[in-house]
Amino acid sequence: MSRRVYLDHNASTPVHPEVLAAMLPFFGEVYGNPSSVHAFGRAAREAVDDARGCIARFLAVRPDDIVFTSGGTESDNFGVKGLAQARGSGHVITSRIEHHAVLRTCEALEGQGFDVTYLPVDDQGRLDPDDVKRALRADTIAISVMHANSETGTIQPVTEIGAIAREHGVPLHVDAVQTFGKIPIDVEAMGIDLLSFSGHKIYGPKGAAGLYIRRGTKMVAVQHGGEHERRRRAGTENVPGIVGLATAVEIRGREMHAEAERLSALRDRLWEGIRTRIPESRLNGARVARLPGTANIVFHRVESESIVLGLDLKGVAVSAGSACTSGNVEPSYVLVAMGVPVDWAMGAVRFSLGRGTTAEDIDYVVEAVAPIVEKLRQASPGRAPAATA
Amino acid sequence: MRYSAVLVDHFLNPRNAGLMRDADGVGEDEYEGCGDLTRFFLRVREERAAEVRFQTYGCGPTIAAASAASELCTGRPIEELVNLKGHDIEAALGGLPDDRRHAADVAANALRGAALDYLRRRDARG
Repeated sequence: MSRRVYLDHNASTPVHPEVLAAMLPFFGEVYGNPSSVHAFGRAAREAVDDARGCIARFLAVRPDDIVFTSGGTESDNFGVKGLAQARGSGHVITSRIEHHAVLRTCEALEGQGFDVTYLPVDDQGRLDPDDVKRALRADTIAISVMHANSETGTIQPVTEIGAIAREHGVPLHVDAVQTFGKIPIDVEAMGIDLLSFSGHKIYGPKGAAGLYIRRGTKMVAVQHGGEHERRRRAGTENVPGIVGLATAVEIRGREMHAEAERLSALRDRLWEGIRTRIPESRLNGARVARLPGTANIVFHRVESESIVLGLDLKGVAVSAGSACTSGNVEPSYVLVAMGVPVDWAMGAVRFSLGRGTTAEDIDYVVEAVAPIVEKLRQASPGRAPAATA
Repeated sequence: MRYSAVLVDHFLNPRNAGLMRDADGVGEDEYEGCGDLTRFFLRVREERAAEVRFQTYGCGPTIAAASAASELCTGRPIEELVNLKGHDIEAALGGLPDDRRHAADVAANALRGAALDYLRRRDARG
């Protein structure tokens, strides 16, 4: 294998060496429990407080507004359930293309008697703020939308949705796991009351994440136990992880803008290379309002998993838009919601670039993917069967 | 890598892939729920599969299974193809993960279909 190219940064990222270095003492000499009053505990508490302050500065919020969690999924669960259960009953608005951490949580709420509206998106994967306005009811208790979609990178009009939410006094939860540290977020200007974010998408460790909660937002805890995180999230803090998360955020603060520009150019170079080399390929998602490093590309008449395997054998890591699990292929629900025909959606591949990606990597991937698709198409029966999934 | 070296080789270098014009037997199978589709074409001489071609749409193991099956069956009597089983193809691939076993079944069903198609045509001719 001559070269290894990792283009799956929306799934996870390598820990930044500075992040690792910052974390290491907290696996060693600083091992106290932050809740303990002795010197060992106080040293750990100080590290957690510093980390909280660092993230609060990055988001321009108060340190007390940040609650640490174990991951984006927990943050989403906490955000959505915390809002709903604090109100006991009512109506929740979300979209059809949310991450499963929000969708499944909303489905669970439906099982508990809440009403949920799942809003559609347009062919670029964008929510229409007017749809949010029209969906509002007298008993609407929460709105939950993602900032950008992990599969397509399409960025949602959160500022417009935030203005509607604020006008109607409905709290807004935003899943920003894919955008935090990648593009600017202004919780004030965007009208965001709760914001989920995670460390391992931005070169921090897995298992370290958080939820921003605007002061005064009525919430209940969903995890019970000790009085950690100002009684909002029980459980001993993951001190090394939290330190790593904060260090990753600090680095993103320095690198984010230049990196976004660089990745946008590489992302466009990738699509341009593929578009000109491979007929019957198509780019999904918004053309402009899209995450800098994300390109979701469909290759017609080829199943995405076979492309993923072909690229894997050439040292390239990407992710399939459709997943074959135990003999059942599910086309991406995100692409289906965007109106992408099922036989096209089956050939969707997500390329997600990151700080280690170079122009040479992109050129290598374009060179690698073209013959794979060509060979697969030569063996293809000429039509993709309609999925029965 | 969760796939055998033999499977990977068939995936990267599929044998006998492509359309066959004026085939003596054609068979197809689509795996319900998965969408994988394989189509086999047979050229029959003296009641044996003289030439086997396939087209397939699916994941890597499905392509590899069709390729392995085409090699396995070339030169064999048509009656044997009728009795071909998924595990014969799986063995030729050096095994399959549990969640990809259907790849071998799709290939076996499509090949069996092609063999039966040939026998039907032959019998119709009398």
